[in-house]
Amino acid sequence: MEAASVPSGLTLLEFLRDRLYLTGTKEGCGIGECGACTVLFDGKPVTACLVLAVEADGCTVETVEGEATDGQLSVLQRAFVETGAIQCGFCTPGMIMSARGLLRRNSNPSDDQIVEAMAGNLCRCTGYEAILAAVRVASRPPAEMLTGEAVGSQPVAETLTGETGTERRRFLRGAESTRKGGRR
Amino acid sequence: MTRELRVVGTSVPRDDAIDKVTGAARYTTDLALPGMLHAAILTSPHASARIVRVDLTDARSVPGVRAVLVGSDLDVRLGLYLRDKRILARDVVRYQGEPVAAVAADTLDAAREACRRIRVEYEELPAVLDPRDAMAVGAPLVHPDLAGYDHMRGVFFPKPGTNVAHHQKIRKGDAPASLAAADVRLEASFYNPPVQHVPMETHASIAQALPEGRVEIWTSSQSPYTVRHLLSVCLGLPHAAIRVHVPYVGGGFGGKAGLGLEPLATVLSRAAGGRPVLVSATREEEFNTMPSRPGLHSTIKIGSTLDGRITALEATYVWDAGAYADYGVNVGRAAAYSGAGPYAIDHCSIDSYVVYTNKVYGTAYRGFGHLEVLWGIERAMDQMAHKLGLDPAEFRRRNLLKEGDTTITGELFTAGHGKPVECLDAVAKVIGWGRPSDAPSAPHKVRGKGIAMLHKAPAMPTYTSCAAVIKLDEDGAADVLVSGVDYGQGTYTVLRQIAAEELGLPIGKVHLTWECDTALTPYDWQTVASRFSYMGGNAVIEAAADCLRQLTAVAAQALGVASETIVCEDEKAFPAAEPGRAIAYKDLALGYTFPNGNAIGGPIIGHGRFIATGLTHLDPETGQGRPAQFWTYGAHAVEIEVDTETGEIEILHIATAVDAGKVLNPLSCTGQVIGGVVQGLGSTLHEGFQFDGKGRLLNPSFVDYKIPTAKDLPRRMTPIFLENPQPGGPYGARGVAEHPMISVPSAIGNALADALGIDYAVLPLSPERVLLGIQSREREKTP
Amino acid sequence: MLGRFDYQRPSTLPEAGRLLAESDGPAAILAGGTDLLVDIRGRRHDPRILVDIKRIDALRRLDVDPAGALTIGAAVPLNEIIERAAIRQACPGLVQAAESIATYQLRNRATAVGNLCNASPAADMAPVLLALGADLIVWSLRGERTMPLSSLFVGVKKTALAPDEIATELRVPVPEPGLRSRFLKQQRLRGHDLAVVSAAGAYAPTTGVLRLAVGSCAPTPLLLEPIEVGRSSKAAVEEEAVRAVQAAMRPISDTRASADYRRAVLPVLVRRLVADLLAEGGAP
Repeated sequence: MEAASVPSGLTLLEFLRDRLYLTGTKEGCGIGECGACTVLFDGKPVTACLVLAVEADGCTVETVEGEATDGQLSVLQRAFVETGAIQCGFCTPGMIMSARGLLRRNSNPSDDQIVEAMAGNLCRCTGYEAILAAVRVASRPPAEMLTGEAVGSQPVAETLTGETGTERRRFLRGAESTRKGGRR
Repeated sequence: MTRELRVVGTSVPRDDAIDKVTGAARYTTDLALPGMLHAAILTSPHASARIVRVDLTDARSVPGVRAVLVGSDLDVRLGLYLRDKRILARDVVRYQGEPVAAVAADTLDAAREACRRIRVEYEELPAVLDPRDAMAVGAPLVHPDLAGYDHMRGVFFPKPGTNVAHHQKIRKGDAPASLAAADVRLEASFYNPPVQHVPMETHASIAQALPEGRVEIWTSSQSPYTVRHLLSVCLGLPHAAIRVHVPYVGGGFGGKAGLGLEPLATVLSRAAGGRPVLVSATREEEFNTMPSRPGLHSTIKIGSTLDGRITALEATYVWDAGAYADYGVNVGRAAAYSGAGPYAIDHCSIDSYVVYTNKVYGTAYRGFGHLEVLWGIERAMDQMAHKLGLDPAEFRRRNLLKEGDTTITGELFTAGHGKPVECLDAVAKVIGWGRPSDAPSAPHKVRGKGIAMLHKAPAMPTYTSCAAVIKLDEDGAADVLVSGVDYGQGTYTVLRQIAAEELGLPIGKVHLTWECDTALTPYDWQTVASRFSYMGGNAVIEAAADCLRQLTAVAAQALGVASETIVCEDEKAFPAAEPGRAIAYKDLALGYTFPNGNAIGGPIIGHGRFIATGLTHLDPETGQGRPAQFWTYGAHAVEIEVDTETGEIEILHIATAVDAGKVLNPLSCTGQVIGGVVQGLGSTLHEGFQFDGKGRLLNPSFVDYKIPTAKDLPRRMTPIFLENPQPGGPYGARGVAEHPMISVPSAIGNALADALGIDYAVLPLSPERVLLGIQSREREKTP
Repeated sequence: MLGRFDYQRPSTLPEAGRLLAESDGPAAILAGGTDLLVDIRGRRHDPRILVDIKRIDALRRLDVDPAGALTIGAAVPLNEIIERAAIRQACPGLVQAAESIATYQLRNRATAVGNLCNASPAADMAPVLLALGADLIVWSLRGERTMPLSSLFVGVKKTALAPDEIATELRVPVPEPGLRSRFLKQQRLRGHDLAVVSAAGAYAPTTGVLRLAVGSCAPTPLLLEPIEVGRSSKAAVEEEAVRAVQAAMRPISDTRASADYRRAVLPVLVRRLVADLLAEGGAP
């Protein structure tokens, strides 16, 4: 519960970062095109740069800082870590919030639904594949991801048989492709 | 490598991922120093103009303004290789978007309001926008004072009185004569527009001016020591007076390799009485003010025998370097010595010109000129193959470098260089080269396949070096200190793996201090050029060996045995024949204490270093010499489907092979390939700056500058790693960071030619360009 | 801060109307804000007050009546339209248009009415709503009026709304039995993009009337004259439609595309659209 008095022109993004010191949410463009500032607003993913802080009066806003519980990473966060979905990390908070929004409204999304939910978040480093795989893994996590074992102790990729990078990637993607026109 | 590896070569996930996935990772704009001010920049609306008058009165009166600066306040010249740039434009502006004034204020809003109230009077001057026009006699000069600029002599050769910042020549054999005598000749021209790196985190720097001219900086940079060095030179300060921290960095891709906003933040802080100042680029400023990848016009001539042996290659590369030389001169140099592709060519002549224009200046960008050059070379190779009636893959096989060949700079190709032919064969196999595509998914669509080679060596000074320090903690864990930057590539994890492997520690007990600090972490040249794993890895290996020597010496003394008998394994040191008499690292890390209290040894701190070996300058007339510490070769093969009514291209499958020498971490290596290929798709299909007739950038935002999204991926991407070891590489590894992006456009351009029978020469291959090409059905002319 | 403006969030229409009428400077209506706030940030718009209409219950209506008529309130975000199965069933073209806009996050904020009132020549909601014969309800303290959507667009980013008026809802009339609707949008890439050109169609097999509208090829979205399909062959109808579009379009060259490309590709979209609509209508 936060109480504050804000000027009308302050954006929700500015409010979160500059007034509440929640710097996990990032600014990537300021015009809603890149998704780096995605937060959940009454449970729905929105770009905080195009929401006025004052609009949040009486509403619930969730940011990446709330994803872990008592220092324990969520399954979604673990999946991101273990599938290699994180490189520079700047798009990661926005990705997490878009994914969290998706998994709340659809706990078993299809590949196309994952792409549709995540496509509003730009990434320049990863080429997206590992991120999409992370969301799928989080929606159907393997048993070892649900234990309390330390994150990173057993990368998802290594639990599989298969000798080549190609084999691993096929599993990580689940099906052959997460892309439009993807075949099962 | 016959040695059984424990950690190196496994897919250890990054430990920085945890800070990133929780929002705890702090990037430069997440930092707040007490009293920190915020800066805004006023930029030039003109591509070329004289600054007649600046009125700051109104600006200074905005409440909260602490400093206002214009170019005439600052007598500082900047430049990596050629000192041609000011912190703020002085006397003239040379590109639309160039910073003209800056304000530091209590709030960003106040700074922006003040900028809006600065009145500048300009007198427009003739601008030159096309580098070919800029090379013509009588063209307006972007730098009339070129003669007076300091530059790296013996390496770069600016031509005063012209717009040529550098001219690199390769002369091997007698290309003109050989071409004239060739059985078959091909000439083709190509164009790459300038593009932007588009890191998700824009440039940002904080500077705090301290007493005696000292300054402390926090910056989103790939090269803290380069920032320190360049500021030392241009501010006239000893290196120790400048301290540079690099926190988390949200992507660089070369755009953050040199000086960015650090000089401006520094002078603003000085002008504001030493208060820290944050300068952070908006996304529009990132596109319009911060540097880009230089554009390239290329003309390539190939001569061949009838049976497909290339006898000669001539190339002219005209680089659109924009208003300042920055890295552009080195891109022009590197592209020249790589500029014939990975082929054995006896007669080669290359002229690479780096040319000033009145546009945003070019800098390093992933691939460092190689994507641009190989767009032309690999398209020309295909066109020559077709002219000869040869299969493009076979034509390449006949000409790829093999053991015993020499490169165009006279370097001998050895077994240790890797196997480009194997890369070609690997991708050809995956894509089903030689088999026709399946039927297209609709009658108005056609399919095609294409192949392209890639190669690159680190483009770096002959004396490039780096160092690493490893210190042991009280609990026997190791802490690695380096000043290379992990801005996403994952090298820090690889270095941890190497340290763990060498020290006999579990990976969980090896840490790498995330932030670089020139006061505390040891020297690294720059994190560019795909050299960090190679050079940093070697430095870490040496540092680990140093730690082991110290552990061994103390343990030997403690146990009263010869140090040759000591083995270090499983976090313990013990005589090989007596494993029971082990001393844990933690009992050696700060020295060893005997039962009676006597102590020996001391804190264990190992250091290692690596310096490039065997590199030579290139002969200024012939380009002969040894520029490359190592080469990495690779290939792409791609299958596409084209909608012939809209011009849209879908990538069905792209296979990418890289001869990595040794895959140090499969997960992050794969990440580099997928990420690089997708970034390459951006350059191929969507990206390019558009300028109007007056040199103003028309697409400085994501509305009209499009990068690939999650919807724009190929249906399948197959990364393939070959492991032909690199002598001198850590565990035989080579760098692979830039390579996956290189030649993506060429492979797709070749596939498009296969599908449509049309040779496209200009990027990007947007739906518009493809469709209009189909409509006119003729070879695309370079603009 | 985006700008210096006052912000009010009325809970009734009369309150909103008063705020607009009594504002001592330009006032702007804030629904999703995905165009407005970007324009304010870019200093293309400088309103004195933002009137947030999202708490006015009347404007959150999203109804599909049993006969298939639609009411879309001004404060209804696009994702709500997309997720309403009954709308997808009654007007698939409407949902296709909504889905093509921006990103998932932006569609949680952007509204159909807002997209129309922004009046970009490329407004993605316009072509299909024009083809469906939608009306816009416009309210002010002076009264309420019903405006055919085609009357809304006056020029590039210019509407026929007076400064004190609020567009409160869209009404799509009861569709003819078996009505088919489709929307096609040409983009520069598959990811989110503005339209290079767009086309929408509505075809009623029972009446044999084909209504087409096109976007991003003239200063405003264009509703073409209805085409009587009758017994014409599909190919003949396609050609008639293409001729009509070619006669009506006045494309420009801009950063997104050249006029040449727009001229080349819009007929392709129109042919595909017509073929799709007529095929399902079962025409010969």
